[in-house]
Amino acid sequence: MGWILNKYLLKMLHGLRFRTKITLGVTLMLIFCGLSIGLILSAMSSKALLEEGKKRGLALASGLAFRLAEPLLAMDFLQMKNLIDNVHGQYDDVIYIFLTDINGNILSHTFSGGFPSDLLQVNPDSHTTQPLLLTTERGLVYDFNSTVVLGETNLGAVRLGLSRSDMDAQIGHQRLISLVSTLGVVSLGIVLALWFARTVTFRLNRLRESAEEIVKGNLNVQAGFSLEKNCWEIMECGKQQCPAYGDARRRCWYLAGTLCPNCQGKEYPLKIESCRDCPVFKYNFGDELQDLAEAFDVMAITVKNHIEELTEREKTIARQQGLLKTIMNVTPDFITLQDKNLTYTFAGKSFCDYFNLKEEEVVGKNDFDIFSGGQADLNFHEDKQILITGQPLAKEITFKRPEGQQWFHVVKVPVYDQDGSIMGLLLTARDITLLKKFQEQLIQSQKMEDLGRLAGGVAHEINTPLGIILGYTQLLMDDVTDEELLENLRIVEKQTKVCRKIVADLLGFSRHSHSVREAVDINASLREVIQLVEHAFYLNRIKVLFAADDTIPPLNGDRERLKQVWLNLLNNAADAISQDGVISVQSKRGVRGQVEVSVADTGMGVGEEHLHKIFDPFFTTKQVGKGTGLGLSVSFGIIKEHGGTISALSPSPAEYLPVDFPRPAHSGPGTVFIVTLPTSGGTAHVERLTSE
Amino acid sequence: MPRRLSALFLLLAAFLFVSCGEEEKPVKVSLEKREEIAFRPQLPAITYAYLPQYSHTESFQRHHRLVEYLAEETGLPLRQVFPDTFAHHISMFGQGKIDISFSNPFIYVKLANRFGARAMARIIEEDGKAEFRGQIIARRDNEAIQSIEDCRGKSWVAVDPSSAGGYLFPLGHFVDHGLYLRDFKEVVFAGGRQENVILGVYAGLHDLGSIREGSLKVVESKIDINQIKVVASSRSYPGWVYAYSPRLPQEVADTIRKALLKLDYAHDPRHRAILDAARFIGFVPSDDRDFDPVRELSKKVGLDLE
Repeated sequence: MGWILNKYLLKMLHGLRFRTKITLGVTLMLIFCGLSIGLILSAMSSKALLEEGKKRGLALASGLAFRLAEPLLAMDFLQMKNLIDNVHGQYDDVIYIFLTDINGNILSHTFSGGFPSDLLQVNPDSHTTQPLLLTTERGLVYDFNSTVVLGETNLGAVRLGLSRSDMDAQIGHQRLISLVSTLGVVSLGIVLALWFARTVTFRLNRLRESAEEIVKGNLNVQAGFSLEKNCWEIMECGKQQCPAYGDARRRCWYLAGTLCPNCQGKEYPLKIESCRDCPVFKYNFGDELQDLAEAFDVMAITVKNHIEELTEREKTIARQQGLLKTIMNVTPDFITLQDKNLTYTFAGKSFCDYFNLKEEEVVGKNDFDIFSGGQADLNFHEDKQILITGQPLAKEITFKRPEGQQWFHVVKVPVYDQDGSIMGLLLTARDITLLKKFQEQLIQSQKMEDLGRLAGGVAHEINTPLGIILGYTQLLMDDVTDEELLENLRIVEKQTKVCRKIVADLLGFSRHSHSVREAVDINASLREVIQLVEHAFYLNRIKVLFAADDTIPPLNGDRERLKQVWLNLLNNAADAISQDGVISVQSKRGVRGQVEVSVADTGMGVGEEHLHKIFDPFFTTKQVGKGTGLGLSVSFGIIKEHGGTISALSPSPAEYLPVDFPRPAHSGPGTVFIVTLPTSGGTAHVERLTSE
Repeated sequence: MPRRLSALFLLLAAFLFVSCGEEEKPVKVSLEKREEIAFRPQLPAITYAYLPQYSHTESFQRHHRLVEYLAEETGLPLRQVFPDTFAHHISMFGQGKIDISFSNPFIYVKLANRFGARAMARIIEEDGKAEFRGQIIARRDNEAIQSIEDCRGKSWVAVDPSSAGGYLFPLGHFVDHGLYLRDFKEVVFAGGRQENVILGVYAGLHDLGSIREGSLKVVESKIDINQIKVVASSRSYPGWVYAYSPRLPQEVADTIRKALLKLDYAHDPRHRAILDAARFIGFVPSDDRDFDPVRELSKKVGLDLE
């Protein structure tokens, strides 16, 4: 039962506010101590008062006995009576006095109307403990027996009755005073306890509120109080670069790297020893609660700083993740990561897009879930081998797709974890279809090179016999008069000339012809050629627009041969248009200081399948007899000789045609030939670009 | 913790109980039950009185042993009584309330003259004498006073007008040499103190002084008594005396006298204690004739002892 009560009490106590607890505790303690001490002191003083009363009675009795010796000797009854009555009358609490001689005769007494004989029966011996307490009709009375002695001679005895009730009243009065004063002190103590509890709990509450704020996420709290004087004011140091300078929220002894000479540059737990003698510490150091509050503030600031750092790092990580993701998503390479069980843990965007999958559909799956059985089986064995052997694999694979043959360069490397064991497989695959095409073009160029050399060799060998044939034919023509024969000879001469032209072109293509280098004004050479063909084109309603960039510098080259290139390109354009169209010629400064000349037409364009062959010798789409198929290949040869490039784009991008040119009704997609020439000497940079 | 707390409580409670203390048990007594009490009359006894030179208690303390001794030695009922004054002593003697009186010689002469008191023994003082005399002193360097005759016209300081050794005996001595009170420049009394007389002379306030013999020794520690010279000494007179009332039967008086004379200061420690308390060392037998010089002196100085 008591245990339950105790538990209930404890629970109730537990639920009380701290302030109430302190007040209650101190109050109880004060009441307990106050009452205990009050009671003890009251009891002690009561006892002392009683003792004092007894002593007083004894003193009165013995004093009287002393003074009564003389009249007792002289048997002076008047004197005896006077002395006794004097004492009796002087003190109200003296109930009676009487004097007996050695034989027990009553010599004098203060009673009127007889003597209470009972008194003679009690307290006869002064040697017993004095006084004797009597209970009488007049209340409790202390009876004192004091003998009248002279030397060793006993002359008689004085008996004195002292009222105990007066003493009790005095004791009661004293007890009341002590009770009232105890209660007063206790009340004062309670008031002090209340004040004390308020002071303590005010700071504790502030600390609690700060803690709650921190729980809510607000780290910008201050549990401690502002100081009356901050460290820099006490030290008058003026060191504004000190971390403690101007920081009113944290105490300098918690801060590292403070600049006071006493601080010795130590950090918090180590520097505190030297701080104990510091005037700042002595001035500002408070009690444990203040210390706690200040430490709490420092903690809050530290946590805040750490959180800010963490946030900053998180941002950095997120940024890096984003960056990585962007790279992964943007890179055209296929990137996947598989774990030891060949389950995909990552798949790049290109990979997903290529196979028309989403990343979620890939991650967590394996090849059997994604690819056809055969392909997956092939991959599985290949991957397993890499995982077992740790040997990376690099290969090129190709397959047919509706848009054409596709080439991929696949690299599979094992991924090692920190302890050096293989934890997965990284696959990268690059679409090298384009590269493959370039390789083919390179092969084509090689072929052209060889072809040119062959053609040049043949043409050189043929040129001499052709000259002889032409010479002899013309000699014969001088000698022959027969008209029919002459006509035949003319045919031979014409065809021989055609042959010689072909040979000359072949030689030009293979750069076997002689060339003269001089400063050439590109714009001037273009104008000359345009003037030459303008009229002829006009007949076919083909308009030539020329936009010259006059800032382009003259370049070192063969004027005539460049003019031949322009003529070839213009003729080619006009052939592509045939009737009604526009040829746009532009000269401008290209990137890296080159001179770029473009010739765009509104003709029928070049099919993609032909585009990479148009510079091949003898390649032509024209009708038989309309062209030799050497014009573009000769131009290619000349430009190459100048260290430049020539390329064709079809259809022609809009930038190569003027914005407001009159586009004919039945114009084609058009083609543009772009020639770039180095301005000085030139780098032997040859590229042939094609575009869809 | 709770155990310790309860122990503290117990301790405090115990302390409280102890401090409350035990109550005394009162004895029931009635103050209302009165009865008239008569004084039981004292048994008849021979009364003994010491001339009240001192307080009763002093008288009692000096003489009660002697009284007890006499009662024991003689087998007679003996009781000390305490007259308040000299006159009371004389009147009590006259009324028969005093059977044995211990008094100075002048009172004795009065008692003998008036009521027929009879001397039975004189005491021997601590200086071993049963008589005493007065001395006339002056400063040793006072050349003007060499003899009694030189005292004429001088300033005289005496102890008290009733002092025997300090006034009456020297006065008798002066009268014998033809000097009367009128022959002195002045006669001053020193309030009954022998020391005051000596100091008065020593300080030069007075030319001569009169003291009881032996008083100089008392001031030995206070002044250089060699500065004082004794100009003259009076004749010896009998000292304090025990006398008995003529109503007391002769044989009783003799028994008492015998008991007094039996006291042996030198050899009996018990007797010595009794005599020490009384401040004398023994007795010599005496009768009325021993006091004739006193009667003569009183006539000379005009003292009425009738």
